[in-house]
Amino acid sequence: MNTSNSVIEKIFYDDDIVKKFTLATMIWAAAAFIFGLLAALQLAYWPMNANLEWITFGRLRPLHTNAAIFAFAGNAIFAGIYHSSQRLLKTRMFSDLLSKMHFWGWQLIILSAAITLPLGYSQAKEYAELEWPIDIAIAVVWVIFAINFFGTIRKRREKHMYVAIWFYIATIITVAVLHIVNSIEIPVGFMRSYPVYAGIQDALVQWWYGHNAVAFFLTTPFLGLMYYYVPKAANRPVYSYRLSIVHFWSLVFIYIWAGPHHLLYTSLPEWAQTLGMVFSIMLWAPSWGGMINGLLTLKGSWHLLRTEPLIKFFVAALTFYGMATFEGPLLSIKSVSALGHYTDWIIGHVHSGALGWNGFLTFGMIYYLVPKLWNTQLYSKKLLENHFWIGLTGVLLYYISMVTAGITQGLMWRAVNKDGTLMYPDFIETVVRIVPLYWVRALGGLLFIVGFALMCYNIYKTIKLAPKEQKAVAQEVVRSGYDEVSKESHRNLEGMGLTFSVLAFLAIAVGSVIEIYPTLSLHKYITPANIVDPYTPLELAGRSIYIKEGCYVCHSQQIRPIVSEVLRYGKASTIEESMYDHPFQWGSKRTGPDLSRLGKKYPNLWHLSHMMDPRAVTPKSIMPNYPWLAEKDTDFLVLRKDLSVMKTLGVPYGDEIVANADIHAQKQAKEIAADLEKNGGPKGLEKKEIVALIAYLQSLGQKGKAQ
Amino acid sequence: MKQDGLLYFTDTYLTAVGLLIFFLFFVGVVIWVNRKQGKTYYKRMEQIPLNDEELAYERI
Repeated sequence: MNTSNSVIEKIFYDDDIVKKFTLATMIWAAAAFIFGLLAALQLAYWPMNANLEWITFGRLRPLHTNAAIFAFAGNAIFAGIYHSSQRLLKTRMFSDLLSKMHFWGWQLIILSAAITLPLGYSQAKEYAELEWPIDIAIAVVWVIFAINFFGTIRKRREKHMYVAIWFYIATIITVAVLHIVNSIEIPVGFMRSYPVYAGIQDALVQWWYGHNAVAFFLTTPFLGLMYYYVPKAANRPVYSYRLSIVHFWSLVFIYIWAGPHHLLYTSLPEWAQTLGMVFSIMLWAPSWGGMINGLLTLKGSWHLLRTEPLIKFFVAALTFYGMATFEGPLLSIKSVSALGHYTDWIIGHVHSGALGWNGFLTFGMIYYLVPKLWNTQLYSKKLLENHFWIGLTGVLLYYISMVTAGITQGLMWRAVNKDGTLMYPDFIETVVRIVPLYWVRALGGLLFIVGFALMCYNIYKTIKLAPKEQKAVAQEVVRSGYDEVSKESHRNLEGMGLTFSVLAFLAIAVGSVIEIYPTLSLHKYITPANIVDPYTPLELAGRSIYIKEGCYVCHSQQIRPIVSEVLRYGKASTIEESMYDHPFQWGSKRTGPDLSRLGKKYPNLWHLSHMMDPRAVTPKSIMPNYPWLAEKDTDFLVLRKDLSVMKTLGVPYGDEIVANADIHAQKQAKEIAADLEKNGGPKGLEKKEIVALIAYLQSLGQKGKAQ
Repeated sequence: MKQDGLLYFTDTYLTAVGLLIFFLFFVGVVIWVNRKQGKTYYKRMEQIPLNDEELAYERI
């Protein structure tokens, strides 16, 4: 090490903030896992929905995903970044106050999510469900974090930025860009808003965001943590520093393009689908660069697996990362996506990443960190060992059951008889077949939680037995790297935080602009003859209920141009059919059938019975009951505001219908209520939410001029 | 202008050129990081996390 400029300075690292984030990680992990287990049980055994609107699957699933991503993984990222950055940059964090604001701000955001999502305040955009006031709070807290982090880089004593820091920089910049662009919305009330994008635009922006949440919230920060904690735990340098440079730049440049692989065979323009697919396949290489670099770091140190079992977590995490990043490109191949999309295969895939990669890496990191932070030894290596094996069994059960369920269902959907008819025309047949696998998944999740509980006990005992009087130890650091004359341009690059950040931003901006910009002029893709009519005010009210109840979580509204799909649901969806949809509701999973052409398929009374008790019309259905929809009143007055915002966004409503939206809606509600009554349904439902929802469901696929 | 941009998406020559540029850039980066004079520098860089405080446990 170069110490020619060797003035020894004594500094104190801020480990208090790291402790806070570590404990928050554990607390929110418990919440995320328990919500997940409850959701899994609801799918296996529908009465677990308990007829309670707040924990019904449609609202619980966003709560689970947000808790897992932003609360569990988020806090883990911050704990790791705050701990490793100070040491890598040889300086205390830029500002203790900003650190505290970041911590408490983030916890408040999580708390507000935990309150608002069960209450049904949702934008119905996956992983971006939180409503506009919380969106603003997220942006503010993220900026606080960014100032704190870049301030730390600025006052560093180690001139050269180690590879983990690059991954943190890419994370901070990209997450900010993704969140802001995807959250551009117009508020219509305190906790309601419409996104400015519609149809294919919204789909593209949403999945550019959604996929890059995986990329820059669940991959790059964790790779950064991996590049610090794996060498630390193994006590050897990373396998190849060269490889880390190559795979960093490849990864940040390629990942940003891959979003459209979530939209293969939809009405998204062909060029965007192809672009997404090609880049997704290319992404395999840089992803495996990371895995190889991590695993080979342990070359010559494998014996540590016996003496330091926490390394098992890192090895398993890297292996799951490798598997998930092989499977991702595989699923991005159009013909594979044709089978896997909308099925549980995707759920299996994402959990091998979330539980195996993010979960295990976090656990390894916590086992490494806690004894260091509390200046003690881990309470029990045996418990750690048990956590590992029980957790691993859980993840494997989860993954295998869901991939099996997904491929089974995908094959059943597309099975066609010799005479060209569907082999399984009833959707419910394909659901009943995989319910046993839902039980296996729930068991897998339970085992994962049992392992986690062992960890909680182990960490609790570790902290409890730690010496009570902890005195912060001053670290002796020496400025380094500042007296070299750089000959290498990449050395210069690492020496300049700002330049590096700008380059990282450019790398992600190229793909983002090329993909999103062309769809901003939506009319280019519209065939005038196919333009649809906008929703009536009551249908729009029903759509808000559809969004609130999270129906998109289990029902798609996008028929792909695939033979079996057209046989089952009707003609393939068009661009025009969702052109006024703010937000789009294509969905990404079919626990129930597609609804794009549901309108006029069944009488109103069928819908009423179905929503009150799905099993009354579809025996063995696993859908929850929605009794509260027949009890709660529709807010008709808010429709004036709703329609005027829609008009602002370019939906062709006339002035009269905007001004009298509530009157129009009540008129239509009366007609539907009268029809229900005439056919033997209950009286006096015209003010109830169920009628608005029926209006919306009956309008699906019925808005085209040619209908 | 926007329409022009879209036209290019069907232009195979342009996409081929794009692919070539990306590929050459990648090859360039690979060659660049493998230059001889980088060796000592990377040696130092990879030690940064291991120099920052007491070791996790004894080397075996």
